[in-house]
Amino acid sequence: MPEWLWIFIKVFIVVNVLMLHVAYVVYFERKVIGHMQARLGPMRVGWHGLLQPIADGIKLFFKEDIIPSNADKPIFYIAPIIGLLAAIGSLAVIPMWEGFSIADINIGILYILALSSVGSYSVILAGWASNSKYSFLGGLRSSAQVISYEIAMGLSLVGVMMMAGSANLSDIVRAQSEQWFLLPQIVAFFVFLMAALAETNRAPFDLPEAETELVAGYATEYSGIRFGLFFMAEYAGMFVMSALAVICFLGGWSGPDFWIFARVPGIVWFLLKVYAFIFFYFWVRATLPRYRYDQLMGLGWKLFIPLALANIIFTGLIKLL
Amino acid sequence: MTANEFIKKVFFIEILKGLALTLRHFFTPSVTRQYPTEKREPFPGSRGLHALVRDPETGREKCVGCGLCAAMCPSQCIHIYTSEDDDHKKVVDRYEVEVLRCVYCAFCVEACPYGAIVLTDHFEYSGYSREELYYTKDRLLHNWDKYMANSKGREYLEKFWRPKSEDFGVPAAGHHQAEGKKAT
Amino acid sequence: MENISGKEVDAADSDARLSEKELTLSMGPQHPATHGVLRLVLDLSGETIVKCTPYVGYLHRGVEKLAENRNYMQIIPLTDRLDYIASMANNIGYCVAVEKLFGIKVPERTEYIRTIVGEMARITNHLLWLATHALDIGAMTVFLYCFREREKILDLFERLCGARLTVSYPRIGGLKNDVDDQWLEDLYKFTEEFPGRVEQYETLIDKNRIWLRRTKGVGVISAEDAINWGLSGPALRGSGVSYDIRKISSYGVYDKVKWQVCIGKNGDIYDRYRVRMDEFRESNSIIRQCIEKIPKGPIMADAPKFTLPAKDKVLSDMEHLIHHFVLITKGPQTAPEGELYVATEVPKGELGFFFVSDGTGRPYRMRIRSPSFVHISALPAICEGELVADVIANIGSIDIVLGECDR
Repeated sequence: MPEWLWIFIKVFIVVNVLMLHVAYVVYFERKVIGHMQARLGPMRVGWHGLLQPIADGIKLFFKEDIIPSNADKPIFYIAPIIGLLAAIGSLAVIPMWEGFSIADINIGILYILALSSVGSYSVILAGWASNSKYSFLGGLRSSAQVISYEIAMGLSLVGVMMMAGSANLSDIVRAQSEQWFLLPQIVAFFVFLMAALAETNRAPFDLPEAETELVAGYATEYSGIRFGLFFMAEYAGMFVMSALAVICFLGGWSGPDFWIFARVPGIVWFLLKVYAFIFFYFWVRATLPRYRYDQLMGLGWKLFIPLALANIIFTGLIKLL
Repeated sequence: MTANEFIKKVFFIEILKGLALTLRHFFTPSVTRQYPTEKREPFPGSRGLHALVRDPETGREKCVGCGLCAAMCPSQCIHIYTSEDDDHKKVVDRYEVEVLRCVYCAFCVEACPYGAIVLTDHFEYSGYSREELYYTKDRLLHNWDKYMANSKGREYLEKFWRPKSEDFGVPAAGHHQAEGKKAT
Repeated sequence: MENISGKEVDAADSDARLSEKELTLSMGPQHPATHGVLRLVLDLSGETIVKCTPYVGYLHRGVEKLAENRNYMQIIPLTDRLDYIASMANNIGYCVAVEKLFGIKVPERTEYIRTIVGEMARITNHLLWLATHALDIGAMTVFLYCFREREKILDLFERLCGARLTVSYPRIGGLKNDVDDQWLEDLYKFTEEFPGRVEQYETLIDKNRIWLRRTKGVGVISAEDAINWGLSGPALRGSGVSYDIRKISSYGVYDKVKWQVCIGKNGDIYDRYRVRMDEFRESNSIIRQCIEKIPKGPIMADAPKFTLPAKDKVLSDMEHLIHHFVLITKGPQTAPEGELYVATEVPKGELGFFFVSDGTGRPYRMRIRSPSFVHISALPAICEGELVADVIANIGSIDIVLGECDR
């Protein structure tokens, strides 16, 4: 089989599985948060609402696509697509199990960081192109937030790269075969966790779309499937960030090495860890209030970036000794 | 900042407590109800759709058309039309309630000296037009048969057609005698 | 106003257009966090509020004018729709005012029941306030937990008088119907578990660092300003002013139970939040004491000229029949002439009814002094210089409801 065909098949599988994942992660979120709030979540469509995401998808697809008359149309059209492409594109370098990643490149971490920055363009451009003040404020907030937290996230991953001696994600996982980086890099893990929440615009850092302040932030003027694309981008982004956390701190696809656990394929461990992470996202959302914009900035610049820098110095010192 | 406070701050104790609470709720049964399939009985006396009391003796409405309910209704949604029959008795030709205007205060029940109108506990009704929710005398009597049949209607009037003598301290009839009011 | 994507800017006057100008943001009347139909026009510099102008009146229904064409009893359902979150408290406030106008003294049992249901209304109101306030700040689970308890009180209201929200339960000189012992027992059971539920809300937000940062030192109202603006209720007490009409007025049985006025210190959002959280516990304890002490007895005052006569007498006694007809068609005919202002402490603050009576069965003029209206007038001064997110927190913390504000 030619190489390109094999890559094409891999892309096809990954993208389709991801799309299904996005649909069901929304369902998962509604169920988790519902039960945490002493209610049931979706129950109507299918058994325990299992077909709800499909119904939602169909509904979004057939809804009228309203475009504000004063919107900057080309940018308005393209913004959600950028977001989704950036989120899906990040998947290319993620190793799901030993030897499986679409593009096993040496700068995997940098590639993901770069694409998540591109993803923030979709939010900024959407906010700008909608020609609505709420969208505009949401876009502004998002740009500031992404810039600040990108730095913290990048710096927190530097420690991991130093430990592994590589920016290739598969190599990072292999470097953790003896010990996960969770404990030695606990500070970096904490910073990464917070930055990932901020990067994916999740509570308590969901300021760009803060419902009670900015209605729906950058997505206020979007409707129908364009809104759906933003939605998919957000959940795909969450998957990517969780996968990155699992790869960099929790040993990727590796699982316990005894008894029948040793026979369980790596993908299962990988997905289990990723979903535990995603569950944590929902759990936090169900519990915490939202930060204020200036407090969020202060937190990023005054706490997370110094912490990440200190972690780099500390890791470096340990390495030297 | 004491050491205790410092530890609490660094280890997110208060946030962990909150997370523990939500996680505990995740595993406790939910309190909501699957409404259209799973219904709660309304409590007796719940103020819902109107009904005209059917007199068991005559089989007709108890209403005599005095119009007090219409006078009392704060949203003026009751319309009564009466006429005189051959015996020079008052007959209620039309008794109509514009349900869409009603505010469900149940003052009509209180205003009625005969106990001829009640609010049933039926609250799930809807329609595609105003006419569907314009209740005529026959429909209101039908409501009584449907929702207040058997002893339910009697119990309702017993309990919610107020005030009654027992609600007053002094027997109101004796009041005037005690004052020794002189007829002029 | 300006096209923010800057399409029509051409090169010639681009310099002129580069001048700094505030962004005008119209928040409301349709907005998820303005608690109804409040409209705020915010002039923003970045995200900082330069100027905040509230516009009210989107929910104006002319209650005061309607009242001029209704007899005194018919106004009770109108008062339900002032502060529809705690309609019981409005009903009581109105009935207390009218009873003072007519010079009616209600029986003791009625006073007790009114105190109980009034405090229940306070709890329902504060539950809804906490729910929406926490939701505005982003803690969405508190919202559902509060509604869980609110539902129970509303169920009790439904068992009591047949309605959950627009109760119309008190009557001039009495009550719609008496409470039964089973109801009191169930309410007592609720009060036993309720403090534990308040603790749950506090676990989620009370010491949470995000909550503290969002509320402490934000939206500060000094005691002096609070008095000058005419604030009342928790918004005033949060600033440390110990003023509660329940303590100084004679309605209800507040002088017969042990309770204290909850006050704050700094006058920021957190203190106002604390005041209401403490009031949960005080109200709960007032209800418990009332249930323990409630006497047996009549519930209607002995005032045949003003209260509807007993139904069993109406058709057997001419005097009663005449009273019944006159009271319903024309209203009480022996109302004293004059002017009167009576205020009661509803959950949101001081609700006052001002009557001009000309001796007929209808008020010549009824003016409602609603706390929400006064509180909204203080909003610009609190909000200016703060951020957009704080506006939302401020609206929540002064606890407004537009039905009452616009009347």
